[in-house]
Amino acid sequence: MAKSDDGIRILQGLLVFGNVVIGMCGIALTAECIFFVSDPHGLYPLLEATENDDIYAAAWIGIFVGFALFALSILGIVGVIKSNRTLLLVYIILMLITYAFEMASCITAATHRDFLTPNLFLKQMLERYQKSEPDNNNDKWMTEGVTKTWDKLMLQNQCCGVRGPSDWQEYTSAFRITNNDADFPWPHNCCVMDARGSPVNLDGCKLGVPGYYNSNGCYDAISGPMNTHAWGVAWFGFAILCWTFCVLLGTMFYWSRTEY
Amino acid sequence: MFPLLLLLLARAHGLEEISYTPTLASPTLGGQTTASTFVLEQPRCVFKVQDSAVIWLVVAVPEAVANFNNSVGPGTPERAFQEFPTKAPAYMTLNTTLLNYPCPKPPGEITVLRVGSETNCSKDEMRPTCNGPLPGPGPYRVKFLALEGSEPVAQTAWSEPITLRTARQPGSIPAMGSGHSAGMIALTSILSILFAILLAGLVAMLVFWSSDACGGSSTFSKPEAVTVRRYNTHHVYDQPPARL
Repeated sequence: MAKSDDGIRILQGLLVFGNVVIGMCGIALTAECIFFVSDPHGLYPLLEATENDDIYAAAWIGIFVGFALFALSILGIVGVIKSNRTLLLVYIILMLITYAFEMASCITAATHRDFLTPNLFLKQMLERYQKSEPDNNNDKWMTEGVTKTWDKLMLQNQCCGVRGPSDWQEYTSAFRITNNDADFPWPHNCCVMDARGSPVNLDGCKLGVPGYYNSNGCYDAISGPMNTHAWGVAWFGFAILCWTFCVLLGTMFYWSRTEY
Repeated sequence: MFPLLLLLLARAHGLEEISYTPTLASPTLGGQTTASTFVLEQPRCVFKVQDSAVIWLVVAVPEAVANFNNSVGPGTPERAFQEFPTKAPAYMTLNTTLLNYPCPKPPGEITVLRVGSETNCSKDEMRPTCNGPLPGPGPYRVKFLALEGSEPVAQTAWSEPITLRTARQPGSIPAMGSGHSAGMIALTSILSILFAILLAGLVAMLVFWSSDACGGSSTFSKPEAVTVRRYNTHHVYDQPPARL
């Protein structure tokens, strides 16, 4: 009898420890998702214009799930210490609901990350950057977002286009309609700028002399933060869920071993 | 004497054929060819003419190369940029003297000519020698022609046909994703299996609970001890030990 008593005590200790870890991970998940939703790199307008911003929805769900995990872990600790069957049953059911939401968030983040390919951003840039005749208000909003984001991207990261300045030459674009090819083979933001924001050598930039224009593409600057965002939400959530799975199984076993 | 004079005169008015072929600039330049411009190497150390001669660039469609007439002067409607390529199969532009092509070429300097860079005069009929953007992807052939007054004195060979870039429509870009990555498939399947196990565990718990509530034995009940105390009021000093 003493041995199974010890066994129960060990199980209780493990469950309390497991719930403490879940609580801390819940807070970490909330913090991480708030960081992603705040969009420190300013790339949200690009996603909004693709009408496929579900990795942001996944981050929003992550905020609430993280908080729920923290609250439920406290409930779990109280339930395990008091060996109260009702509390533990409520805990298990609510945890399963939270588990389902977090699963949805992880799968959404991972799936929608796969949609964000270079071609998607290339097509969007060519069709929307400096588009002069928007169809409606929504279009105008998206166009302005894309244009401002690309201007900022090209200036801050010293890059041009998605794969390079040749994107502007290989394809026609909304930009090409209002800017002729001889004066603007690529946007002036692709030129190397001086401290005042004007090109160092405009003729050198138009000729494409290395050193006076940005010859590398911006795709790395876009996909880097987005990958961090999507994989951060998806894989951290996956790790939490694996740990929660073990704790929940342990709690179910503990529940079956307690009495009213 | 007279034939010698004639020979001298013929030499003086002859056209020097230079074996230089105009070439495009180095491909390290990003704008070597665009949709309406191209970049040529300057003809340095090529011409040996007087400083007063004017060196022109002739841009022509390939069909006009065979019977090109050097004597048609620049600025005439037959050589006007604005009429190219419909009424004028060739045009002349980028006129300069030999002073702008000093020899030898300083090493490390980029010496190029950008054909098609002047956009403000491309529709101005008063500027027939405009270096305007080319109207189509070509191909085009160019050569340099040196004129002394209105007499051609030297010319280079015709270049190879130069074709400009043609831009495609962005609608031709396939924007759909390439499929699902392995990580996403692993994540989805593992999470689904774990969730299914948890649900099964919950169902087992509830079944266990309902069978327990209906009167099944509980696993951890302490056995009730039944104690019987026998009271012997008459034999006080002979009490059997109470059992717990």
